[in-house]
Parts: sequence; structure tokens; C-alpha cells
Amino acid sequence: MDEKFDCIIVGAGVAGLAAAMTLARNNMKFLLIEKGEFPGAKNVSGGVLWGSDLAKLVPNYWEDEDGGWDRFINHRRLTFMDDQSAFSVDFKSSHFNEAPYTGVVVLRSKFDRWLADKVQEAIDASDYAMDSFIAPNILVEEVLLEDGKAVGIKAGGDEFYSDSVILAEGVNNLLTRQVGLQDKYVPADHMLTGVKEIIRYDQKVLEDRFQLNGLSGMSNEFVGYATNGVEGGGFLYTNRDTISIGLVLGLKDLREKEQKPYDILNEFKKHPVIADTIRGGEVVEYSAHIVSSGDKRVMPKKLYMPGLVVCGEAANLLMNAGKAIQGMDYAMRSGIIAAEAIVDAKKASDFSEQAMKKYQDTLGNSYVMKDINNFQDAVHLLHDPVMTQKMPNLICDFGRNFFSIKNEPTPKSRDMLRGAIKRHASYWDLMKIGAKGAKAL
Amino acid sequence: MKLLSLPERLGLVSYRNQAKSEIKPHIVVDTEICNSVCPHKCTTYVCPANCYTKDEQGQVHFQVEDCIECGTCMYACDQGAVSWEFPDPEIGRGVTWNFG
Repeated sequence: MDEKFDCIIVGAGVAGLAAAMTLARNNMKFLLIEKGEFPGAKNVSGGVLWGSDLAKLVPNYWEDEDGGWDRFINHRRLTFMDDQSAFSVDFKSSHFNEAPYTGVVVLRSKFDRWLADKVQEAIDASDYAMDSFIAPNILVEEVLLEDGKAVGIKAGGDEFYSDSVILAEGVNNLLTRQVGLQDKYVPADHMLTGVKEIIRYDQKVLEDRFQLNGLSGMSNEFVGYATNGVEGGGFLYTNRDTISIGLVLGLKDLREKEQKPYDILNEFKKHPVIADTIRGGEVVEYSAHIVSSGDKRVMPKKLYMPGLVVCGEAANLLMNAGKAIQGMDYAMRSGIIAAEAIVDAKKASDFSEQAMKKYQDTLGNSYVMKDINNFQDAVHLLHDPVMTQKMPNLICDFGRNFFSIKNEPTPKSRDMLRGAIKRHASYWDLMKIGAKGAKAL
Repeated sequence: MKLLSLPERLGLVSYRNQAKSEIKPHIVVDTEICNSVCPHKCTTYVCPANCYTKDEQGQVHFQVEDCIECGTCMYACDQGAVSWEFPDPEIGRGVTWNFG
């Protein structure tokens, strides 16, 4: 192909598709390349797409009968577990029932494909209906560089040229490493391995079991026994007629504790409370994927170079600060901002390092980097063994005593709490955690 | 509900190019390193698809057929034994997720 594109996007995940949509709407000529059989074919997430950016990208998406999303979240639950018990903080509100929703559960093989169809519609409506392409089933081998500037990509032995490249290749960011924006070897320290099962139910059974109404859904995160002593947590999200259930496990800790992720997943599923929750279903898929922790130390320092920007998980834009596991919304926003920087660069015919830097500057002023910067202490706190081990045990111990009615004189709650603290931690632990928590959150 | 073994779980995965007898491995492991200097041989337990196994003599072996492209081994191996690429769509293995 002799033609030169304004932009080549690598990866049709949430970030790449958000970038493509933005380029199409701005009448840019681009090529979006995806290595999977179709957009979404190789993508895995937990996963909830938090926030309302989707409504900006696809206005009134909720009116789409067969939309790519599964359920909107109006019910949140955070569960602390020991080997027998589950103590939950549970919040459900009709406040979340109105569109645009503030969180939708998605299955990426379906959602990304649907979003790609929407991008294709935007391409068809643009000036480059015949010249912009979504090209699946192609693996990009390398970014072409000339005098330190990205000028295109090489795929399947062919070279494709462009004024700019957006890398939205996901967490296993081999091209980001090739161009030198990420180290060639990324250690396990701030990476987690996610494992997940999709379990199918009769839709009526699912809706009754989780008290779902219409397309409402629930998200549940777990800390403590769920991960069998390994740093990390568990999750359960309701889809249309399936649930997504899984774990994210700190890879360094997994290595040190010599544990197998699929064994821990079975232990989690065997827990009496979880077993009651998921009984009767049929497992229809098992998947796994690496995620970054949200610790800034792992992120590439620079997300741009002449003619190139990096967005989404390729830039390790993901964070769990205790409230929610956010990644896809960061991908979406960073993809939009990346594309906007490319649109501006095209107008000014300037794809220099300075022009690309605008992407990182704008991202820095957006909620994405503001949250990542502000909640670093929370990320560290969540990976503290006191939080992942001692706290859940302490909370469940207290719960067991508090909710036990024994036909005996009942001790004051204060004394029950004191006993639970003594058995599982120390006041010193709690003071440290309390001080850290007050600062972090 | 019934808990699945790992082979049962991997049996649910849609792998690409399954009809092809010869595939090009997208991951190459220098097991010489695993079997000489590596103190932990961690890939044999952290890999979610058990692509790395230890035989009775404790020697590490690798097969790419079951790989679900998660990336775990690329980070977990701190000995430089794992060369990790994405599979070639035509002649590689790798996955197509039905749900994802």
C-alpha cells in the first residue's frame, strides 16, 4: 500500500477503538490493526467499564437493543472473607438506574466487536469512508522508525506508512518496549495475574439469585481468604445470563508462595459462601490475563516520542484503589485524548515530540492521572499483607461474635472488637493501617 | 457446583489453527537456563495454563499448545529464559475468546 495514513492505531481494544472513533469523527484517514480474528477476540477483562465516557463515545448506547454491554451496575458489594465467613459492605440504589449509567459489565469478545461496528459506522460517515480501515487478523511486528521518529509499522512483511502511530496494544506492550518507552524486561513486582471463569445459568435463575431487575447488575469484590494468602483479591460480576468470577493475584507473591492460580480459583469457588452463591451453573470459559497494579513505578515515564503516543494498558493505566478496579475507563479516556492530540498535530502539520507531548500533558490534567497520582498510597495499602490477610480475618471474627446469639450474657461490641484485634492483629497494626488509610483515601 | 480440573478448563478454550499439525511457537523457552541456574522454576506453577511442567527429575519442559497468551511467564521469569511474542495469526497458536 503506497498510501500514507494520518495515523495507524495498533490494537482494537477499548483504548484503540476509542481513539479510532475520535479520529473518524474528525475526518482523519487511519488504519486500525488488530491481531485477533476480530476486535475483542484476544481481549480479557474482569470486567466493569466504570464511568460515563461510553455515552460520549456512543451516544444513547443503552437504547441499542443488542448493545455490546451486558448489565448496568446499581448494586455494589465489598466482601471480607475468612475460611468460613463473608462480611460485606453492600450498597444498592435506584440512584444508579438511570442512563447514562456509571458502570456497565462487559464481556470483551462481544463488547469490543460491537464498539468496532460503531467505529465502522463513524468511518462510513467520514470523508475517508473508503480509505480508513479496521484490519483484524494482522500482527504488527515492529514500529518503523526514521531518525527517531515513528513513520509507520511493519506487519506480515509489508510496510505501512503514517504521520503518526497510536500504540494501544495492551499490557503486554512489546512495541512500546521496541521503541524504548518501556524497559525490555518488566519484572513481576507490580504485575498481577488474573484468572477468570464464565459460568452460565438460566437467565431467570441468575436474575432471582442476584436480585436483578431488567438489565440491572451487581459487582462484588473480595479480599482475604479468596486469594489463599496471596496478595490480591477476587471479583464477581453479573452478565446477562452468565457471571464473571475470578481472582487477581500478585505475581511476585504467587511466585514466592509457590501457588497455582487455577488451584486458588477452585479454593475460592469451594468457600461455603461462594459455593452457595454460584451453585448449579455451568462453566463455559476459562481465561487468564496479566494486569498492572496501578503502582506508578511500573508505568512508562514517557508516553510519547516523535510521531507516536501510548495509551490504555500499554501505558499501564489501571488502578485498584479499593473502590473499584478501573482500567477500561482509563483506556477509553486515554484513547480519546491520544486521538485528539493527533488531530491537533495534523491541523498544525506538526508531529514532533513537542506536539506529541500534548497528549501526556492533557492526560496528566484528566481524572485518569489525577486519580492515579492521588491514590498511590491506597494502592500500596491494598497490597499490604495486613490489609489482605489480617484485616479480613479480624472483621470476620468480629462478625461471627457480633451476630452470634447464645442465650448467655452478651459482651459489649467494644470488647468483642478488642478480642478480635488481639487474635488477628495488634493495635499497632491497626494504628499504622488507620493512619495510612486516612492519608490514602 | 463441580470444580473443574485445569485440562477441563483448557478444553473450553477456542485455540486457533488447531487443524494445522505444524505451528510456529510464539514463545521460546531456553530450558537450559531453567534447568541450570534458576532457583525457583516458578513458571511450572504460576502459568495459568500449565504450559511449563517439571518431570520426575525436576527438569522443566515447555509446550506452547495450551498457551492462552496471558503474559504471566514473561514477567514471572526473572532469569531471561522466556522469549515472548504474540502468535502469528496464520501459523501460530493462541486464542480466540468466546466471552473474554
